[in-house]
Formats: sequence, C-alpha cells, structure tokens
Amino acid sequence: MSSSLITFDDVSRFYGEVLGVNRVTLNIPPGITSLVGPNGSGKTTLMNLMTGLVRPTSGAISVCGISPYDPQNLFRILGYCTQFDSFPSGYTGFQFVLSSLLLHGLDRQTAEQKAWQAIAKVNLLDAAKRKIAAYSKGMRQRIRLAQSIAHDPQILILDEPLNGLDPLVRSETIALFREVAARGAHVIVSSHVLHEVDMISDQVILLANGYVVAEGAIRGVRDEISDRPHQIVIRCDKPSLLASRLFAHDFIVEARLHPDRLGLLIQTTNLSQFHKLINRLALDGITIESITPADDDVNSLYQYLISEEGTSK
Amino acid sequence: MTPLALWRRQILTIVSLEWKKTLFARRGLWVFALAFLPALLIYLSALNLRNHRDELQRILLNNPTAAATTANIQIGMPFDRVSSILTGANLNFTTITRANRRTIIRYSDGVSSWDLIFVNGKLTDRTDRSLPALNDRIRQFAAIFQYFFLRLAIFFGCVGIFINLFRGEMLDQSLHHYLLAPVRRDVLLIGKYLSGLFSTILLFGSSTALQFFFLLYAYPGPESASYMATNGWSHFFNYLGVTALACVGYGSVFLASGIVLRNPLIPATIILFWEASNWFLPELLKKFSIIYYLQALCPVVAPISPDVPDAFKMLVTAAASIPTPLAILGILIISTAVLALAALSIRKLEINYSSD
Repeated sequence: MSSSLITFDDVSRFYGEVLGVNRVTLNIPPGITSLVGPNGSGKTTLMNLMTGLVRPTSGAISVCGISPYDPQNLFRILGYCTQFDSFPSGYTGFQFVLSSLLLHGLDRQTAEQKAWQAIAKVNLLDAAKRKIAAYSKGMRQRIRLAQSIAHDPQILILDEPLNGLDPLVRSETIALFREVAARGAHVIVSSHVLHEVDMISDQVILLANGYVVAEGAIRGVRDEISDRPHQIVIRCDKPSLLASRLFAHDFIVEARLHPDRLGLLIQTTNLSQFHKLINRLALDGITIESITPADDDVNSLYQYLISEEGTSK
Repeated sequence: MTPLALWRRQILTIVSLEWKKTLFARRGLWVFALAFLPALLIYLSALNLRNHRDELQRILLNNPTAAATTANIQIGMPFDRVSSILTGANLNFTTITRANRRTIIRYSDGVSSWDLIFVNGKLTDRTDRSLPALNDRIRQFAAIFQYFFLRLAIFFGCVGIFINLFRGEMLDQSLHHYLLAPVRRDVLLIGKYLSGLFSTILLFGSSTALQFFFLLYAYPGPESASYMATNGWSHFFNYLGVTALACVGYGSVFLASGIVLRNPLIPATIILFWEASNWFLPELLKKFSIIYYLQALCPVVAPISPDVPDAFKMLVTAAASIPTPLAILGILIISTAVLALAALSIRKLEINYSSD
C-alpha cells in the first residue's frame, strides 16, 4: 500500500436532487473508526463511495492509494460487510463464503480452508452447510461478516455490523474487530448503538444531513466543542467545601452535589484552568479520589453536535 | 499469477457459479417452454405421420386393388355414384358436411389419402392428402426454424436469460456480491456473458437437435438414411451452428440492454422491430442486424406459403445471401462491439437498489 490513509477530497454525492454527502474531506488513519449519525446522515453513502459501489458527483477518493474504481486491486485488501440482506439464491453459508474466495483467484483447496477459518471466526460452523434462506437475521449478519473477513483484508468496512446480533455474539464480534485493528488494519464501522461505538472506536466521524460535523479521537472532538462547558465528576471527601472553593472562579459554570453526596458534578469552560485549580485545592487538604470526564463519550458528542443540529433545523 | 491467468480463472469461476442459476432461474422457466415447443410440435407431427403411414400399409395389405378401383372416380360424378364405388372397393370413408352445400368424402386407398369435395352433390375437386415427401418436410422445417425458432424462440429466450444476468441480480439485490469481489468489471461481464451463452446454447442447441431428430423420425428407413448420407449431417451441424451464433448475437445485445435499461420490454420491442424491418433497411443498415447474417447461414431457403398476407411476407423475406465466413464474421463483429459498449457502461454501474 502506497499510503495508509483513506482520503476523501471535497467529495459530494447527490442522488438526483437529494443530498447524499456534501463536501466531505477526510483522512482516515488505521484503527477502528466509527461513522455515527442518524438515518440518512450519509454513513452508508460514505461506505459505498469508498468501495466504488457509487461514484462521487464531485471530488476524489483514495483508499490507501488505490482508486475505488479498481476493484481487482481494491478488494484484495478490502472487505465490505454491507447492510444489504440478500444473497445469491440457493447458497449455503459455506458456498457463499467459498464463492467469494474463488473469485479472488484462489485454488479450491486454499479457498475452502480460508472459508472454514472465516466461518469459525464468526462461530457459524454448525450452520455452514445449511441454506442461507433458513438462517436467522443474526446468522445472516455473521455469514456476511465471515465473507468480508475471509481474505484477511487490511481494510474492513462494516455497515451496522452489530444489528441483529445477540449480546454474546456482539461481544465476540467486537473482539474480532479489535483483533483486526490490532494488526494495523482499518476497521470502519457505522453504528447507531452509541455505547458500543464508544467502547470500540479509536476515532469517530460524526455525520448529520450529509455533512461531516466532527472527526477525530473522541476526546479531541470534545475538546474542540468550545461553546459547551465540559462536565466533570469529582469524587472527594468534602464535596460542599470543594463546591464553595470552586464557585469563586468564573470559569466554573456549575457545581452540583452528586446525589450520593460523595462527589460533585462540575461544568467548566476552561479545562486546563480547572485542572490547575484542582491541584491547588488538593494541596489545601481536600482529598480528591477521582476526576472523571462526564461528557467525552460518543453519546455526548452525538447530543451536542447532531441532536442540536437536528433540532435547530 | 499473470493477469491473464487470473482473469481466466475468475471467468471460469463466474461461469461455474452462474450457469445453473441462469438456466434454472425461476423467472426463466418459460424459456424452456419456448425452446422446446417446436420440438414438441415436430414430434407430434412425426407421430401423426407415422400413424398415417401405418394405416395406409394396413389398407394396402387388406385391399391391394383399392387404388386401382378408385382411380375410376372422375370430376363431375354425383355423390351417390362415388360412394357406391368406394363401398364396392370395400373402403372405409367418412363424410363431412360443410356450409354452402359442400360435402367432403375422406378416404385412404392404401397408396394415398384423398379428400373428395362435392358442391351441390357433384364432385368438384379431388385433393391428395398423401404424406409429404421428406424434401417437403425439410423445407417446412427450414420455415419453422427461420420464422419461429430464430426470430421468436431464440430471440425471446435470449431476452429472458441475458437481460436477467445483471438486471435480475439488481432486482434480487444481490449484484453487489460480485461488485465487491476483486474482479474487473469487464471480466465479470465476460464471465456472465459466457455463462448465459453456455446456458442458451445448451438449451436451444438441444432443442435444434431434437427437432432435427423428430423431423427424420417420421421417415424411418432408406429415405432418411439417404438424406443423412448426402446433405443431412451438413444441414444438422449448420442448424446447430446458426443456433449458437443466434445466441452469441442476441445474447450480447440483450446483456448490454440489461445493464443500460431497466425495463426489458423496451429493448426487446425495439430490437424485434429492427430485426423484423430488416428487409426495407438500406444495405448499410442491414449489416447491423443479427437476422441478416443468420438467415444467410441457414442451409435451406425457407418457403413462404402463398396464403401468407403480403405485409407478413415482407417481414420474413430472407436477406441477400452473404458468404458464410463473412456472415459469421459479421455476427462476431456486432457482438464484440456491443459487448465493448456494455463493458464501458458496466464500469460506471452503481448499486442503488432502491431505485431499481
């Protein structure tokens, strides 16, 4: 690979007069990247653009130095688990994965071996010889996942991959994503399940109405939202005293006693000043047990950036 | 692996994955009926001819002088006189009464079968309903092959099979599986085309072979043997070749149509009209028609019944004769050009199932 980045350079895509995505410029590094946004925000369009299933109306895309319109080279390093819940008729799970590997030009023996390995990874060995038509939704999701990872891709794109999976399989699947990302691969996931995105993502791309509203590591994105005070939970032995000391400073917007009376929920407009202040107060005899950010998760970012945008429009 | 070796392997994989699906697709079952309908009709006709021949032989065995006796029947004889001659010759006959005081006596004398037509009680016409000679049947077969099998059965069969290679997968929302494989789209196109070709040649080629077999089935013995010893095998392979070339030509056109257009009826109607109107096209435009070359390759000139209306006669008139190598080359050039255009189009194909 000549580059390790997936790049979008001022990419727009319109479906007739309907906006898919508009003026997207992104550089996606390896690791787990989550695309987050409400329905119709452009997540699937971005994924389809990366894989050449749709073409941009304007702009350019490069996937680790490869054009999305060069399938012969692109899909050797990329696996895409789409949301399309349809399969070639009459196939068993094994045949489905095998047929995909045979199209890579592998000999039958190697293809069969890799197909079984991929099916084992998604825990579907028992059902592999059954027709896909008889699979449950979760099983169909897993066999699609097996197909997308069977050739050990360097880039794995997953459109709502956790849909329809039971909790146990969800955690196994998340572990699989982490395993793929740990070997330096790109894992690009779209999801509505924010706490799962939060758990697995190295970086997020937040989308709303076809626009990228924020991108980067979750903490970094939160830091850039300057018009919203940071929320912090402090666990300490003298919360009332701490609250009175904090209120003396104008960068503290709010200090509320925690319901269990063993801590405070603080809102501050200046995080670095706040940390300096806390250090001083700790030296003055208040025992600080923990300081935890309360709003640097995907859920909060989603609320700040996307929900507000949705309501303002 | 060299690119060529990779493409060859990928094409073989696509053909092996596709051909059964193509041949036995639920939405393509009517193509079987279309392909084997002529074979069925020729078989039924052959059975009828064989039964007729057996009946004549039985009469000849039982009544060897019947033909000589009934030779006395003359035009102008009254109905009663004719029926008494037939009764005297010990022959069974049936009487059919029609409107306008027409009566028909139908009988067989062991050599031939006859229809005697009476108007106002007098014999006005005597029609020989004897078995057609093999040569006549060969010409009839040529007409069925050119006017029905080529122009309609293979034409619409290719509509059903080749249009669905891409359009059908769009409707089933399964085309993305191929587009997400490390296969060049033009390689995918060739693989799909070859799988359609394999299926249609298998289907229509076996129908052609069956039709030819049933054609000869009606003529057991030296007549068929003599035909096969002279032109028979050449005609047989010629018809198989024309069948295959028809699949090559129409297949390429309808594969391209399935990629470019959503509604298969539009290209089918336009191309059917184009092919049918070949007779009045200027010489240059005729060369862009598949049927122009196919008819030139057929081994027997198809007869047109004088009863066929003039308008229809024009539509089925054979194109000017072209040397065989040129005709084959013409179809191959048209098919290659159409496939090249389809390859350009498929490179830009997008997956947008919601609009299909």
